[in-house]
Amino acid sequence: MQTAIQIQNVSFAYGSKQVLHDVSMDIPARQITAFIGPSGCGKSTLLRCFNRINDRIPGAHLTAGSILVHDIDINRRDIDLQELRRRIGMVFQKYNPFAKSIYENVAFSLRVEGRTKRSELDGVVENALRNAALWDEVKDRLHASAFGLSGGQQQRLCIARAIANQPDILLMDEPCAALDPLATLKIEELLMELKKQYTIIIVTHNMGQATRCSDKTAFMYLGKLIEYGPTMQLFENPQNPQTEAYVTGTFG
Amino acid sequence: MSPEESSAHPNPHRFQKRGFSYEQAIKYFFASNAGLTIVILAMIIIFLLKEGLGFFPGYQRELEVYRVAGLEFVDISRKNLTAHEQLSSVLNRAYYAEINGQSFRQMRRSQEASALFNSYTDQTGATRDLVLNNSRAAGDPNSEMLAALNANFETQKAKALSSLPPTPHLTAQERTSLIESIRARAIESTEDPPLVTTLAGEFAAAQQKFAEPLQGMRATIDAFAAAGADLSSLVSDMTATVTATKEKIQGADILEKDRKTLLAAAASARDPVEREKLISEAKASLADKPDIEGPIQTLLEHRPDCVRLHTALKETSGGILNQLPITLTQPEAARLLKVARNTWPLFIADLEKTPAAINAWKHDAPVPLTSAISSFLTGKDWVTGGEWQDFYGILPLAAGSLMISIVALSLAIPTSIGAAIYINQYASNWEQSIVKPVIEFIQAIPSVVLGFIGILVLGTVLRDISLLDSLHWVPGFPLTERLNIFTAGCLLALMSIPTIFSLAEDALNNVPSAYAEASEALGASRVQTTFRVVVPAAFSGILAAVLLGFGRVIGETMVVLLVAGNRIKIPDFSAGLGTFFQPCHTLTGIIAQELGEVPMGSVHYRALFVVGILLFAVVLTINATAHRFVNKMKH
Amino acid sequence: MFNPETLIRKGLPKGHFKDVAVRSLLGGLTYLVVIIAALLFGKIIIDGAPVLFKAEAPFVDFNFLTAKNETLHVFDDATGKRHQLPASAYNDYLLKHEGATIYNEQTYSYSGGGILGPIVGTALLTIGSMVLALFFGISAAIYLSEYAKQSPFIHAVRLAILNLAGIPSIVFGLFGFSVFVLAVPIITVTPSDRSLLTIPIFIGNAVISFQGWNSSLMAGCATLACMILPVIITASEESLRAVPQGFRDASLAMGATRWQTIRKCVLPFSLPGILTSSLLAITRVAGETAPIMFTAAVAAKDDLPWQGLKNPFEILSSQVQALPYHIYTLAAKIPSSEYTQRAQYGSVFVFLVLVAMLSLGSMILRAKLRAKLKW
Repeated sequence: MQTAIQIQNVSFAYGSKQVLHDVSMDIPARQITAFIGPSGCGKSTLLRCFNRINDRIPGAHLTAGSILVHDIDINRRDIDLQELRRRIGMVFQKYNPFAKSIYENVAFSLRVEGRTKRSELDGVVENALRNAALWDEVKDRLHASAFGLSGGQQQRLCIARAIANQPDILLMDEPCAALDPLATLKIEELLMELKKQYTIIIVTHNMGQATRCSDKTAFMYLGKLIEYGPTMQLFENPQNPQTEAYVTGTFG
Repeated sequence: MSPEESSAHPNPHRFQKRGFSYEQAIKYFFASNAGLTIVILAMIIIFLLKEGLGFFPGYQRELEVYRVAGLEFVDISRKNLTAHEQLSSVLNRAYYAEINGQSFRQMRRSQEASALFNSYTDQTGATRDLVLNNSRAAGDPNSEMLAALNANFETQKAKALSSLPPTPHLTAQERTSLIESIRARAIESTEDPPLVTTLAGEFAAAQQKFAEPLQGMRATIDAFAAAGADLSSLVSDMTATVTATKEKIQGADILEKDRKTLLAAAASARDPVEREKLISEAKASLADKPDIEGPIQTLLEHRPDCVRLHTALKETSGGILNQLPITLTQPEAARLLKVARNTWPLFIADLEKTPAAINAWKHDAPVPLTSAISSFLTGKDWVTGGEWQDFYGILPLAAGSLMISIVALSLAIPTSIGAAIYINQYASNWEQSIVKPVIEFIQAIPSVVLGFIGILVLGTVLRDISLLDSLHWVPGFPLTERLNIFTAGCLLALMSIPTIFSLAEDALNNVPSAYAEASEALGASRVQTTFRVVVPAAFSGILAAVLLGFGRVIGETMVVLLVAGNRIKIPDFSAGLGTFFQPCHTLTGIIAQELGEVPMGSVHYRALFVVGILLFAVVLTINATAHRFVNKMKH
Repeated sequence: MFNPETLIRKGLPKGHFKDVAVRSLLGGLTYLVVIIAALLFGKIIIDGAPVLFKAEAPFVDFNFLTAKNETLHVFDDATGKRHQLPASAYNDYLLKHEGATIYNEQTYSYSGGGILGPIVGTALLTIGSMVLALFFGISAAIYLSEYAKQSPFIHAVRLAILNLAGIPSIVFGLFGFSVFVLAVPIITVTPSDRSLLTIPIFIGNAVISFQGWNSSLMAGCATLACMILPVIITASEESLRAVPQGFRDASLAMGATRWQTIRKCVLPFSLPGILTSSLLAITRVAGETAPIMFTAAVAAKDDLPWQGLKNPFEILSSQVQALPYHIYTLAAKIPSSEYTQRAQYGSVFVFLVLVAMLSLGSMILRAKLRAKLKW
């Protein structure tokens, strides 16, 4: 099985506050990997290292180790940051479509790349919306404001936006945290579809979601990777007592 | 539990409130203080209206007198005369601009030499006079005092010679020789240094030389100017008649008003003797109805003359245009000639219409209240305290306010929004900690200080810059007025920058960081994120910031009062961009300038309050629109 | 499957120059503002500071601050020496040199002596209006933040505050003139002709006459207080709301009344914030010219406000000089020359220093407050 991301002894800090300690793992391609763990365990931080979106935060920096995406160290000086982020899509916890039309939201990543040919954009937008299972719901109002959609629809729009430019990897930071159970179910169904094309990494609080969707699961606690393995194994037969305590609900 | 039950109950439950509550009194005290804001706002509106609304009937009466007395009739002709004068002045200016433009070098050389010499005489004049006066008076050339005075003169002279103005158009040699001749000059000499005389001569010669080919134009201009002479003398004849009539009517109005006051006093007087006295005084004050028919008829006898002279003027003027040169070589002269050519058809058309207007004029046509209102709102003249007729038209003031706002906003919007974007999106912490306090401090500067800076610093600096030869191409340069629309606009820009900056920065700050994060995660660069996501999301907030800045600019008083130049005239838009370098007056400035000088309760006084009402309405509308945008931003 | 090599850029990132250009343009605009501000103040400091400071000890020349404002006389004596004397010193000179001839005499109004009168006047106006505005403003803010529920009344109050805050200062001048100068009631025995209404109160001949307070300190203070009221209310309400709800809940839960809660648990914590933002309001009140032009200010006055009064309350009904109005007079009414520069730049310099100190103080206090109060 191919490895999409290799994480080698990564330590990470916000200013002087160390939040990740020596994390190492390999994330397989074309599978869903879930990060679980209590709040503040560093799972979101780790996820945000993959497309270096943490660079936005003043003082955030890698203190040791390296992250390789398809064998390229993404913290190299000559990395093309914009290209990296085009190749690694991201969906956030709170759905955050731009204050633009549905169409323009999806076309955004192409436009900033300088691809503005109308016919090309039309195809990409339709394709992305279809892949995000949103096309039938919005095809008649592509040019209406994105804020007119329901919460679940907005989140699926964000997914469409993230996959519009055909990334290789899709990062999802608790994508269902702000959604009701029905909308969550829809997103989970979508994930199973998307997994055929993309490597997906999902951070979740919801252990049910991890068991339902993911192929592999990593449990993190206090900035350390405690246990990482196939999902079934981790939940049914945890090797580490802390993992066991967490998955059985004794703490966290 | 209903109130009846509780009052019937002898011992109410101890959770229940009893009778008057101290707490409630406190609450009502605070509530009444909050209500004070409503009271103040209501009082502002009521009192502005109370003082202002009387303006329209008063102005209506003034316009009625204007018509009845025949001033309006005279003004028909007078308007054309003024247009005629302006046209000949424009032609004259074109003529001299052409000559002076061609002899520009000689002119500058002569001016600079004189300026240098004048600077010297200005600085040494006082001490020189002392020496001369005392030597004549004392007669003893060796006196100690005279020696002291002489020494004093010499120091002053040395000082003056070391601080002479620059003379870029003179050669170094010429400058030295000029300074030497000044240095060698006898103290009692009253003649100009030779170089000054020579250069003045050269300039005059050049003027003459260049005037040679323009002789035809000179003659044409003079002929045109002379064509108005007959009409002018007729107008001044009529003026004397109508002014006398107007005075009669006004005198009668004042007596009538006195009578009413006396009768009112009589009605409220308690003492019957007093009352009788007041009533008899009132009777005495009853004015004869002034005779207006007679003078009007004499005035109207001039009708045929008026018509005849207008027709004559039209015929002469029509031919003049073809005799003028097609264009001139100097840009300023060519511009002025073009202005004259463009206004010519309008002038002729006005003359064409005039005879009909003269014949149609009726002194007894009624003046409705609406005409007072429309003449206020659309009047092109704000003339007060004149002997002829007062007009209260706010167009010149509104135009001034608007022009200044245009300058101020077009300078302030790019800088303040640019700065807001920079500080919010790219600046490091230490940059923020420098820029923000500076801008906050600019906000704290009192406007009168900015006005002071405008008069003593900016105005002078701008004029000096405009004198540079290399900037000759800028429209309006060199500046004729130190205080003008542009100077005021610059200062108001500085004043509105903090307002727009801080509100725009707030708006940018309020854009959720999730937007920027999502945008960058999609592969947009920082600049793309800023301009494609953050700025559009903050757009309505930024628009509100601009509007509030506009409200601040248009309501600002002290800067425009000090720096705008205070000339009550609609700017001459034919100057193109040079229009922005003309002086003007403003809605706010006129109140500040004139309220202190007008008699209370007069039409003029009330007019200022109406201007205040207008200002109040305009600014509140702008602010309300801005707040609507702000609310829209809160989704 | 994408080619990972595309992640490595060749040369500079795409659009690098555009980014740099946009950033430098925006940064340039920002620093343009800073530089222009610095140049203007530099000019005033260079021209104004010498009036107040001198080379030898004690370095500060208080004369300009403590002397009254007078007309400046400039003349030469018989030896050609040039004298610049304020009116009082000029009169002394004439007495001392009786019969001496004076040459080239020129007078410059308002340019001699110092600016004690304007400073005192501005201080009185500021204190008076701030006392009024703080009293009414804080009370109103307490109502808005502690008592108010959604109601048409509150809606109207908020609308009124919003609108008051936007009214141009010259309109406040008109308002103050027509209300406080011409219309507010006053108890008098000799009602004026212009009185709108007189009500006898049956104590001697005294009546309440709605004839206004004339141009006076009280009228000026009241006008300025109305103008600054919305600012004070908004700032106070913000400070009151910054006190955590938990403080109030805890106090109310222990049986304290609402007023006790406000007095003991809300006001003490919000007062520093209120006073800090009032410092900024002071700079605005002290700097406004338009509202006091017709309601309180006078260009020239020989006595200080408290001199030559029959009773101390008369100070309220006397006109005062004020620093901003003085600067206006100096800038607009007299021609600029080398003899007037001292008065002109000196006054502006002093005024600017005052404003700078106030706004700096407010900035520092605010920073301290933010560091101290974290709940």
